[in-house]
Amino acid sequence: MRRLFLKLFRRRRLDRDLQTELAFHREMSAAHHNPIPLGNAAAIREQAFDLWRFSFIENLWRDLVYAARGLRRSPALVLTALLSLGLGIGVNTAMFSLGVEFLFSQPSVRDAGSLAAVRVGGNSNSPEKVIDFIRSSGLFQDVAGENEETFANFNDGVETHRIFAVYTTRNYFTALGVPMLYGRGIIPSDPDEVAVLHYRFWRQYFNGDASVIGRTINLDGRICTIVGILPEHHRTLIGFGYSPDIYAPSYLEDTTLAIYARLKPGMSIAAARAGLVTVAKRMDAAIPIAWKYEDNLSVLPIAGYARFRSEGEFQAIGVFFALLLAIVGLVLLIACVNVASLLLARASARRREIAIRLALGAGRGRLLQQLLADSLLLCVLGAGFGLALSQITATLLARIQLPLPIPLRLQIEPDWRVAAYAALLTSFAVLACGLLPAWQSVTESIAPDLHRERKLRLRRTLVAAQIATSVIVLATGFLFLRNLIDSSAISPGFDVRHTVRADVNLPPASYSDVKKKTAYINQVVRELAALPGIETVAAARLIPFTDNNSFGSSLTFPDNNQQVHVEFRYNAVTPEFFQAMDIPIRQGRTFSPADHADKVVIVNRTFVERSLGGRQPIGTVFLWGPDDKKLSYRIVGVVDGTKTITIGEEQQAQLYEPLDQIVNDRLRIQFVLRSAIPPALQLDAVRRTLHSLEPMAGAQVETMYSSIGLAFLPSQVGAVLLGSIGVLGLVLAMIGLYGVMVYSVVRRTREIAVRIAIGATRGNIVRMVLGDSARLTLAGSLIGLFVAIFVTKPLAMFLAPGLKPADPLNFGVVLLIMLLTGLAAAWGPVRRAINVDPNSALREE
Amino acid sequence: MGKSAEPTLLQGTLDLLVLHALQRGAMHGYAIAQTIHLLSDNVLTVEEGSLYPALYRLELDGAISAKWGLSENNRKAKYYEITKRGRKLVAQQQATWTRLSGAVRRVLAR
Repeated sequence: MRRLFLKLFRRRRLDRDLQTELAFHREMSAAHHNPIPLGNAAAIREQAFDLWRFSFIENLWRDLVYAARGLRRSPALVLTALLSLGLGIGVNTAMFSLGVEFLFSQPSVRDAGSLAAVRVGGNSNSPEKVIDFIRSSGLFQDVAGENEETFANFNDGVETHRIFAVYTTRNYFTALGVPMLYGRGIIPSDPDEVAVLHYRFWRQYFNGDASVIGRTINLDGRICTIVGILPEHHRTLIGFGYSPDIYAPSYLEDTTLAIYARLKPGMSIAAARAGLVTVAKRMDAAIPIAWKYEDNLSVLPIAGYARFRSEGEFQAIGVFFALLLAIVGLVLLIACVNVASLLLARASARRREIAIRLALGAGRGRLLQQLLADSLLLCVLGAGFGLALSQITATLLARIQLPLPIPLRLQIEPDWRVAAYAALLTSFAVLACGLLPAWQSVTESIAPDLHRERKLRLRRTLVAAQIATSVIVLATGFLFLRNLIDSSAISPGFDVRHTVRADVNLPPASYSDVKKKTAYINQVVRELAALPGIETVAAARLIPFTDNNSFGSSLTFPDNNQQVHVEFRYNAVTPEFFQAMDIPIRQGRTFSPADHADKVVIVNRTFVERSLGGRQPIGTVFLWGPDDKKLSYRIVGVVDGTKTITIGEEQQAQLYEPLDQIVNDRLRIQFVLRSAIPPALQLDAVRRTLHSLEPMAGAQVETMYSSIGLAFLPSQVGAVLLGSIGVLGLVLAMIGLYGVMVYSVVRRTREIAVRIAIGATRGNIVRMVLGDSARLTLAGSLIGLFVAIFVTKPLAMFLAPGLKPADPLNFGVVLLIMLLTGLAAAWGPVRRAINVDPNSALREE
Repeated sequence: MGKSAEPTLLQGTLDLLVLHALQRGAMHGYAIAQTIHLLSDNVLTVEEGSLYPALYRLELDGAISAKWGLSENNRKAKYYEITKRGRKLVAQQQATWTRLSGAVRRVLAR
């Protein structure tokens, strides 16, 4: 404490005091005829002062001020460095915050750590009575349920919209502790007809009017009271940025819900699981069903790292983000090398200054610190710029409605993790940019020419490393670009260019009757087919890529009583489906109204190959259904297969039933229309027709091409992201190469002048400079390719079948691009070299 | 700046010598150097390059205090005075030194 005060109050006078004192000392020595000390007054001063200063911070501050003053004189360097570092750090933090939000975000509930997702009997969803049973067992503090994947029809007085609804148990909001913006959550004493609105839905349809609470909205024809509004940054339990439109109490008898349980304080996941086994056993005795609740039960954490560890799909995405981070990390490295190269050139200019300071007795550590101040200043400014950039990017990204069938909105906000990551990157960048140039300057001795040579060699090595790194980044980017092209070339198995899809969600109140539903479907097909330009209309239980229904069941062939287990994708369609979708019928025929006598199916060729055991498909009969009431089905047609979930998937077995043969228990029904004119022009007419037939049904109408966009999204995102990162890396490397080439030409001006003077032609000079650049590029590229072959190996899991990471064509293209870049970067220096005027250049020397 | 042939001061002993000199009363930097020089029978020479940094360090540590005064020839000079803390320090260091030098002497005698 005392020292601190002394330091604070006395230091101003220190300098004058010491001067007076030393002068007095010398005077006295002279007066007493002692030898006058010839000590280095400056050194004494430094030594004495170091004690009295807050030396580290004060030195740092002075260094920063000095660095700022110096850098102000070279705006080109500052601009290049800021751009390089800003882009590098910006891209890195943006990618990091995206990954953190996607993988580790916490849902908007009280104490997410004590919540667990519960499954019994292997089912993701269970009926409400199961939830009630578990709750009443007292094993957990509370148990709630939600059905996340449902639609509701919202009528705003003019139009009906299909919106995304989450149906919950009534204790959902209280048990989970969901924070609200206005009003309250649903409470156990509420009637069925209440709703909580999501912020965005509220903004879209109610203009963000807070007085909306207590008013009513029309959902599926029911008049519901709005009780609360969720905040803008509400995160659902599912995560991944899923943002539904409304929450409402589950009111239909057969709705099944995903179960979430609040653990009692101090209860571990393992203990909860053990307790659940006992509860499930009691439940098996109390509620008899076809399977056992006791089997395949699980208790999983819902948030943060614990969830990440327990779910496989998360880990795959995690690997993808890790890969992205590694690649953008390489880009930052390239940027750092650029700045290091610039600082190295600057260090040459400061050689004299540093030599003098060394001669005057400045410590090397002290000088190192001063030189690092340059890069510290640049990196901190660069990081600031980068963070601003990443915030803008993230905000823009969050505003984009991704072309997905479900509303996903990532809420990217800066938090301590992102800040810590940015700080880490910045300190890395400071060292990466500054250490090498600073060390070079300080260890430099009095043989400057020797050192200039070494410094150039160092810069050339750095540029070669930079080129190698860009090759790795580019090779990865290209791989994903190839992947995009390859996967776009894969046909989904049906026509997406001339077709329109209409996805209708019927209100449950008026369509619980199957007959009424069938009448509606028939009427829609008839009226849509009457629209001008429409060739064929079909109805289907589902359309590939927008919905999926997989079966695994046993078929019995009555001819030899053989039983076969088959896994297939199921669909139920009207007879015109295959014509409308342009799915070729290979054998037999499509369904016909005359089929009502017995049950018929159409299968795809994969189904025939895998399940029929060499039987002639047409006319083959099999028994299918629950053990006690197996029904006989006859195959009437064989069609080509379609892809159903992802474009890159292996061909799956498929089975189609006529839509009028099944008990249609679903409220969601899809229509496909084949149009003679561009399908985009039909959308309005289709919407109008659907609205006139059933104003209460929400309908989503779009071209087939845009509705299967999701299938291409992963490869598109990969290609765009990695492609642009690759280009960024390339540009940065080009800047570095250009800098080195210019420097080397300037250094060799005299040599070039002599060559021209003794008769070198322009061609000779051009060859000389270009050759130099080409050698550098080639060396870097070859090293990069060699590394890339190993580094890209683990990428195979993200690629379309048939595409290998170590693709010679891919690497060839990257090599070519690098060489062209080398040529482009050498263009300026070459012009400079051939314009050297031997007379003036030699006179200057 | 040739090295003096006289024995150089052992690292760490300068503080002790300065504090010891100051036990005779307040004096300025030059006087401290002279006192040590004379007391050591002209063997030890304290150079200003080590004296002043040592004085500034001791002052910061609170072992001595300083104030401006007039010298014998009417010049402005900075007078150093030993503090209570300094006296405690000198006693400690003297004990250490005695033990150390005795040990060295015994080693060399055998």
